[in-house]
Amino acid sequence: MDVALRNVNMLPVRTWNRLGINDTGLQEKFSDPAPYRGKALAGSLPEGVSLTKKPFPVSDAETGMGKDTADFVESHSNCGVSLCAAAGTKAEKPVVLNYEISEKNPTVIDCNEITAEEGSEITVVMGYRSEGDVPGFHGGLTKLYAGKGAVIHLMQIQLLGDGCTHFDNVGAFAEEGGKIDIVQAELGGKHAFSGVKTRLGGTKSQLNMNAIYLGDHQRSIDINYIAQHTGRKTSSNINVSGALLDEGQKTFRGTIDFVRGAKQAVGHENEYNLLFSPKVRNRTAPLILCQEEDVDGQHAASTGRIDAARLFYLMSRGLSEAEAKKLIIEAQFHPVIDRIPDMELKKEVSDFVKGRLSQLESMG
Amino acid sequence: MEKKKTMVKDIDRTIYDIKDKVHPSYEVKEGLTPEIVEEISKTKNDPKWMHDFRLKSLEIYNNLKVPDWGPSLDGLNMNDIVTYIRPDTPMRGNWAQVPDDIKNTFERLGIPEAERKSLAGVGAQYDSEVVYHNVREEVRRQGVVYTDMESAIRDPQYGSMVRDHFMKLVPPTDHKFAALHGAVWSGGSFVYVPPHVKVEIPLQSYFRLNAPGAGQFEHTLIILGEGADLHFIEGCSAPKYNVANLHAGCVELYVAKNAHLRYSTIENWSKNMYNLNTKRALVEEGGNMEWVSGSFGSHVSYLYPMSILNGENSRMEFTGITFAGKGQNLDTGAKVVHAAPHTYSDISTKSISKDGGTCTYRSSVVILPQAYGCKSSVNCESLMLDDRSRSDTIPVMDIQNDDVDVGHEAKIGRISDDAIFYLMSRGMSEEDARAMIVTGFAEPIAKELPVEYAVEMNNLIKLEMEGAIG
Amino acid sequence: MLLEIKNLKVSVDGNTILHGLNLNVGKGETHVLMGPNGAGKSTLVNTIMGHPEYKVDEGSIIFDGKDITHLPANERAKAGLFLSFQNPEEVPGVTLENFMRTSRMAITGKPVKLFAYKKELKEKMAELNMNDGYAERYLNVGFSGGEKKKSEILQMLMLNPKLAILDETDSGLDVDAVKIVSQGINQYKNKDNSLLIITHSAKILESLKVDYVHVLVDGKIVKTGGSELVGEIGRNGFQKIAAAAV
Repeated sequence: MDVALRNVNMLPVRTWNRLGINDTGLQEKFSDPAPYRGKALAGSLPEGVSLTKKPFPVSDAETGMGKDTADFVESHSNCGVSLCAAAGTKAEKPVVLNYEISEKNPTVIDCNEITAEEGSEITVVMGYRSEGDVPGFHGGLTKLYAGKGAVIHLMQIQLLGDGCTHFDNVGAFAEEGGKIDIVQAELGGKHAFSGVKTRLGGTKSQLNMNAIYLGDHQRSIDINYIAQHTGRKTSSNINVSGALLDEGQKTFRGTIDFVRGAKQAVGHENEYNLLFSPKVRNRTAPLILCQEEDVDGQHAASTGRIDAARLFYLMSRGLSEAEAKKLIIEAQFHPVIDRIPDMELKKEVSDFVKGRLSQLESMG
Repeated sequence: MEKKKTMVKDIDRTIYDIKDKVHPSYEVKEGLTPEIVEEISKTKNDPKWMHDFRLKSLEIYNNLKVPDWGPSLDGLNMNDIVTYIRPDTPMRGNWAQVPDDIKNTFERLGIPEAERKSLAGVGAQYDSEVVYHNVREEVRRQGVVYTDMESAIRDPQYGSMVRDHFMKLVPPTDHKFAALHGAVWSGGSFVYVPPHVKVEIPLQSYFRLNAPGAGQFEHTLIILGEGADLHFIEGCSAPKYNVANLHAGCVELYVAKNAHLRYSTIENWSKNMYNLNTKRALVEEGGNMEWVSGSFGSHVSYLYPMSILNGENSRMEFTGITFAGKGQNLDTGAKVVHAAPHTYSDISTKSISKDGGTCTYRSSVVILPQAYGCKSSVNCESLMLDDRSRSDTIPVMDIQNDDVDVGHEAKIGRISDDAIFYLMSRGMSEEDARAMIVTGFAEPIAKELPVEYAVEMNNLIKLEMEGAIG
Repeated sequence: MLLEIKNLKVSVDGNTILHGLNLNVGKGETHVLMGPNGAGKSTLVNTIMGHPEYKVDEGSIIFDGKDITHLPANERAKAGLFLSFQNPEEVPGVTLENFMRTSRMAITGKPVKLFAYKKELKEKMAELNMNDGYAERYLNVGFSGGEKKKSEILQMLMLNPKLAILDETDSGLDVDAVKIVSQGINQYKNKDNSLLIITHSAKILESLKVDYVHVLVDGKIVKTGGSELVGEIGRNGFQKIAAAAV
């Protein structure tokens, strides 16, 4: 089927059209979604977590990539889960979901809901892989709801081959004292899109967002993160870091939105981009929207080559320039990879990055 | 540093609000038609190329849409704007000959006094026409040209230079209001500084919009020869009327190899003004463009001075402050395109929102593929003085090669209670403590301004801060 | 009596920190307040100075015969109170010189004669071994810990209050800086004005004539004595003194 999604990853407030950053589109031709063949859920569910479909508690939940994309997944999904962590339970081990794009599963469209009831804690790891460079399509929608004092850890690890187009659309809501903790690793694919919108509605609710990306070959990555503070004393922390190589392109929109009434809210956003090739393109739009006086909002972004002094230091210890650069990229990804709770997956991600970097010609 | 501001008597906002009786010698009908543009062209005695340019611009204007991304322009009805009002006085080179009421207005604003004191030349525009232009003799002898645009276009020596540069940097196709400007522009200044001439003291122009419901569309064209150096100061004001006024000026600055231009603006239009001004500089090899910009007035502003760093090792620095109070939506910032290697840009802005006012910082930094070895740094800080106001920060960076060093920092917040307590523990009232902190916040910008403007700015802040508590 | 604190109960964010504290400071006296971390020392001095976050639930503060319990901080400053802050705020864009001039004008209510003022400032800065350049620097911005403390002492000397409260002014200073700060304090002190010093170290007290030492534990003064108490605290610690007092 053909899909043409518009108004994807929209900036909450528009700016000059000629910069081409206000939104993007997603046009793709892919095999019609057939029921997913295979088992996505690895192992058993941890105690306290069940596969129960309940009406999602937030009726007007908004997502990072926008309504068109969310509607598309809802009407075409061929897999996905609805997880619920029962009140007061703390799941020790993560729920692991693996989706593999292959010749028999060329199209994966997963629609997920994760609800953490009052005082519960749940960790969900979603891995997206493909058989070599097989052409394929992945589109996902994940809605998160953290009840009072509940904690949701969501890790989305995308390790697709260069034949795949991928998107992950996330919408999250946190009640009083609730905590949303998201890790996204956009490491493969031909075109990768991701959008996360979190509404911090409850007093003292929190968002922790850590993302890494690797833009090598001709990959284009398009990201839209929005932290909307409506509750008092809410806090958000968004960190994005990555590297662009070859002809890689990345667009990052990051918005901290302080709505009137979000007194004593704190929102911080940091972005760190390393560039390695003259043909890369890095676009960034870090927004702070503010209608509340009693807040603390900060954004910092830094883009450029590896610090020459650091490179020199490593080379003075015997590393070649290419080795030194690889080491620095890996080091940059480490804090995020370290958050992956599953040892095997951690190693897999680490090896994936190593593998990608070993193919590089442009490392000087 | 001028630190005696607290000793200076507060200037009274009413000096801006004095309205002179409107008795223009000539006024076109409201609204914009080809006939009106023809009429303007005819009365201005345009050369043919300018006549054609105006009509072409009008066509473009009619085909372009109003921007869909900024503050609302709903209150602006183009059919109500009297595009062209000319005061009934020809241009003077001698202050004594300027009619008394116009002269009084400028004297109240301190214009001739400023000239006597510290300026190399002064131009004053009243509604659509320049009423006064004067350059010091020693500056004139250096070959510096400072005259009104209409004279410059017809000048046998500089006419072709004007034609070669006029709206080449800001073409009428740039946006709807640039097209409008191209069709109906009137007045403004032309400055030419020959190669290697350094103008030691600033040139200043002052714009005053007096007629209600009028538009001001002055065109400023400054051309600096290789290695030339100039500081140009622009001031704007208008009295308050109840109908919307429109300012759609255009500033084009050409900074040749190794030349240096500093362009300072204090904009204090009355709070019914739609200020849709376009400013752009083209900077050649080793050239240096410095913008200093203070925005206090207007109901709505769209203002983003742009620099095109066209030559290797060229630089631009932008320092700006915006203060939005009740009923104001000020969308300001800067744009820069790094089009050559080893170019440098630095944008540093502050904004203050209070009393329901909206400040938006908007910027773009573009580094083109061929522009390697570039450095760019953006720093913007916003201060919210209450929870009825709004402050948005919307920067974009588009980096198209890897050999760059680009940094961006933005901060938003309030005056800390601890800082107020600290100042109060030293005897200051809460009101004074807040005013002092806000003045301090604006200080890095104030110190870049000419002294009389810095004093004016601090007084404006004080005035705005009065009664800000409770 | 210059300062009379009666049965003072103070809370922050609903947590009571001072539980009925009494303290009297007479004219010309030097008092020292010591106590473990978290005892409420900073709460006490911030309350005396009128920080809005510290809520007086009960009791009163009388200064120079006037009830200042509910006055804003600037009125207390005008009455002759001064607090040397433990962590002085940084105020960008406002120079130290301008700040102190504005402050003096606010307190005296009289215009400041610029030339004489600048001369006086220069002399006082020299005495504190402060570089002239500091006058033109933004208030506390980028000052080191020691420089901030010196700037507080400089302000005390320029404002010449009736009662100066020093909140750990000596902490984090090297030996030379402590000496300079002590000299500054000695220069301020005369028979008419008073001092209330909060400190953890005996060093700064060596060159001062201390009249009273108070021990504050858990929001109450548990013991008051003469300067000999400083040595006792050094030997036995606060807990022992507090236990003995109960």
